[in-house]
Amino acid sequence: MTALDRTARRHRWDTRFAPYAYVAPYFLIFGVFGLFPLLYTIWVSLQQRSLLDADGASFIGLDNYQVLFADPYFWNAMGNTLSLWLLTTIPQILFALWIAQLLNRKVRTRTLFRMGVILPNVTSVAAVTIIFAQLFGRDFGLINWGLDLFGAGHIDWQAGTASSHVAIATMVVWRWTGYHALIFLASMQAIPPSMYEAATLDGARNWQQFWRITVPLLRPQIIFSTIIATTGNMRLLAEPLLFNPGTAAATGGSDRQFQTVALYLYEQGFSNWDFGYSSAIAIVLAIATILVAGLGYLVTKRIQTD
Amino acid sequence: MRSKTMALVCAALVTGTMLAGCGGESGAGGKTKLTIGLFGNFGYTELLKEYASTHPDIEIQDRTASYSDHHKNLAAHLATNNGAADIEAVDSGYIAQFKDTPDKFVDLNTKGGDQLRERWLPWKWEASLGKEGQQIGYGTDVGGLAICYRRDLLEAAGLPSDRAQVAALWPTWQEFMAAGKRFQASAPAGVKWFDGGPTVLNAIVGQAPVGYYDRSDNLTVGANPDLKQGWDLVVDGVRADLSAKLLYSTPVWNTGFKQGQFATVTCPAWQMAKIKDQAPETAGKWDVTSVPGGGGNWGGSYLTIPKQGKNVDKAVELATWLTAPEQQAKVFTSSGLLPSTPKLYEDPAIVNYRNPFFNDAPVGQLFTDAAKNLKPQYQGPKAGDVQTAIGNAMQRVEQGKQNGEDAWNQFVGDVQKLTS
Amino acid sequence: MTAVLDPPAPAPPAGARGRARRLAGRVAGPWVYAGLIAVLAGSAFPVYWSLVVSSQTPDAIDSVPPVLVPGGHLFENIARVFDTTDFALALTNSIVVSGTITFSVVLFSTLAGFAFAKLRFRGRNVLLLVIIATQAIPTELGVIPLYMMMSEFGWAGQIHAVIVPGLVTAFGVFFMRQYFERAIPDELLEAGRMDGCGTLRLFWHVALPAARPAAAVLGLFTFMQAWNDFFWPLVVLVPENPTVQTALNTLASGYTTDYTLVLTAATLATVPVLAIFLLFGRQIVGGIMSGAVKG
Repeated sequence: MTALDRTARRHRWDTRFAPYAYVAPYFLIFGVFGLFPLLYTIWVSLQQRSLLDADGASFIGLDNYQVLFADPYFWNAMGNTLSLWLLTTIPQILFALWIAQLLNRKVRTRTLFRMGVILPNVTSVAAVTIIFAQLFGRDFGLINWGLDLFGAGHIDWQAGTASSHVAIATMVVWRWTGYHALIFLASMQAIPPSMYEAATLDGARNWQQFWRITVPLLRPQIIFSTIIATTGNMRLLAEPLLFNPGTAAATGGSDRQFQTVALYLYEQGFSNWDFGYSSAIAIVLAIATILVAGLGYLVTKRIQTD
Repeated sequence: MRSKTMALVCAALVTGTMLAGCGGESGAGGKTKLTIGLFGNFGYTELLKEYASTHPDIEIQDRTASYSDHHKNLAAHLATNNGAADIEAVDSGYIAQFKDTPDKFVDLNTKGGDQLRERWLPWKWEASLGKEGQQIGYGTDVGGLAICYRRDLLEAAGLPSDRAQVAALWPTWQEFMAAGKRFQASAPAGVKWFDGGPTVLNAIVGQAPVGYYDRSDNLTVGANPDLKQGWDLVVDGVRADLSAKLLYSTPVWNTGFKQGQFATVTCPAWQMAKIKDQAPETAGKWDVTSVPGGGGNWGGSYLTIPKQGKNVDKAVELATWLTAPEQQAKVFTSSGLLPSTPKLYEDPAIVNYRNPFFNDAPVGQLFTDAAKNLKPQYQGPKAGDVQTAIGNAMQRVEQGKQNGEDAWNQFVGDVQKLTS
Repeated sequence: MTAVLDPPAPAPPAGARGRARRLAGRVAGPWVYAGLIAVLAGSAFPVYWSLVVSSQTPDAIDSVPPVLVPGGHLFENIARVFDTTDFALALTNSIVVSGTITFSVVLFSTLAGFAFAKLRFRGRNVLLLVIIATQAIPTELGVIPLYMMMSEFGWAGQIHAVIVPGLVTAFGVFFMRQYFERAIPDELLEAGRMDGCGTLRLFWHVALPAARPAAAVLGLFTFMQAWNDFFWPLVVLVPENPTVQTALNTLASGYTTDYTLVLTAATLATVPVLAIFLLFGRQIVGGIMSGAVKG
């Protein structure tokens, strides 16, 4: 065998198999620790299975789902999840559009402002929730102090259903609006000014231009943001968990008034150790998320130029 | 773009962390490392130092988590046979749950425990026995009840502040609430009579002959008149605006101590350690007196040795030492935890002990009396969870979300669900 | 753990960006500045407030009007945090976790991204499609089986349980692939092959140097995301061996003494990401605006 032959053979081997070696780590690790657990969830959800009695696992078909659909706590959590989804997603997109519009001017210290809007997004969700929980405190919270100043009186933010949802939504909106604003801004910058010039000649005001030109042209980004926001906001867990810490944190308030489905999953799985039931919740949550994201897609898809 | 610098920084970060990750977890110099898992304040800091100094071959690491996290995680560690500390504390609210799986723990009777049983109150000893008589834990403290109160706040409202006179205000819980109404009528702004309904209710429940479970582990919740009467009484107090509406063991409750938001708080012996920790600057303003209704227990713990530990014998030795009468006596004077050793109730060093933080209250006398009067109550498997559920129910009333009846009914339903 | 979708609109190409900037928008008036300053203040306030509380004594909490400027007790409070909890362990764990994950994600994403973008092999398109599809799946739905696996391996409670599932991300591979597509001309690789370079050498000498800017951005985001991750560490770790985020949860759950302490810990937990943000804010903004990054 000549040296040349060897080189050629090595080369062939190299081009044929090396690529697989390069992608293998990803597929191996993801397969074992990502995909497999995901699929195995379905199997666990068909079992009666508790961590505390691992040997006693047994196949029970759809029983977990049957119990789940008759479980008032589950429906309560689903209602809270949908309410929070609305209260977070819509303001997030609208605020983001507004901020992007502001940033899309010729502004001095542009980088400062852009960094400013994205700052909330890099902070940790646990830290931020703890900070907000203090701000929303009943007796010594800054927000109640401010309300008092205007004579609005104290609100026990954690106690009420609506008030607790507003407080939690505030945290989420605060954290994510800047991210969406920058996505929108990137696309706004790509809109040719000639489109606005024509509209100005037609006598369209600023806000008319915004709704008639900018928003429709941003449709793909709005769809993208809606879906991203939906998948995130349908599984809020850290915020409701840390909003009212204590021995009963996983119930999301004294009357489960802000327990989300993800938090209920956590309570059933990692406080009651009922793995079968918790897995069933995971599956239903996944399906619900897809449905709601689909709904968001259908709504945002209707944005169009008139 | 400063990509080069960035890449450098990233590389530095990463290598730095890889190096940091190399530190192993071996005990230094061939010492045996014992871990002890606690919740709240057991008053062990000094004792562990003392033990380590007399046992140079032992290195002790204590770790403290919140009450619910601690027990939740312990259950998981036992189930997976992995991750438990060498010694794990268990509260009386959870001991019944854990004694159901005695095979997960070292049977202390096989380690000489049966020789020591005279040390403990009989009911304390029995509460941690497994089905076949295995002893899974040595008792640490018991939660004999008293009331801690703020002298200054009572005076400000024109009530007596002297211990005996204060105790005379509330021979019963009805009178406790009546005194509360008097207090509230002229209380300083922002101050309520008691910290929160759930705290008061736990004391009342702790005094009942039968608590959430009967001795055959059946839930009594729906049918137990003592529970319902206690519930109604506290609900009345809440409706009379006597409650600061702070749930115990939450950050707002902790703040409440500091800010003086309430005048009285149910004081099982271990509560004194908490108050001192949470509001050191209120030293001298507090005092302690006897509880309405007399007797009763809330809390108190055990030290267990999970079988999965690697140094079971050394752990047993340490747990035995920590729960021995001499050490329990030290814990009482340093942190106020009431010994579970009846012998100490006659010990002059204990009986005559006065606590300077609490205005030199004769806590020795007070709590040994409480311990002698204590009617032990049987704790069932999920007593801890039931207690959480009733706390949530009371909070619903305090937050004005439900009236007493609805909250109670929902609680009864919740509990059934919990145990189904 | 966050879902990532294929962003629909990539950034305008570098050449067009200058033009876009020149043409974009009208000059900002005072109202625009007022609006932006309000947004800036709202963004920064909670973080600032946390710093204010962390630098006060616990009594400051009920002062009327509230204290709005930092006091002088920051270091004292930090010392208390380290006394009360094993925060040093939490910080070390978080650094090890985030550092290892960052290193691994960047490495494996660069490798796989290069292969997908520049090498031909059977099944390439199918595999790429799998990656794109899995980006959208929230992996925490598999949290129960994953926990069962970790218990089985005896990893529960230890930081490998947090590190290993984070070693690769679909997003990272996709991101690097998009980058290589644009950044390395095929001709360059062809030339390299002519000179007898094997794939590995091409990767090492051509792809890796070219990948630096993208790898740095990916590294930044991966680090911050790993640092801030909450749910999985909460589930699989124990309070005795926490990351910073789960240590915060323990601190906030009531066994500590006061808000000053809790918020000091929250501030401490934010400082590392904040430092990275201040150093590399421009790149982070650029990363998001190029439609590149996570949701």
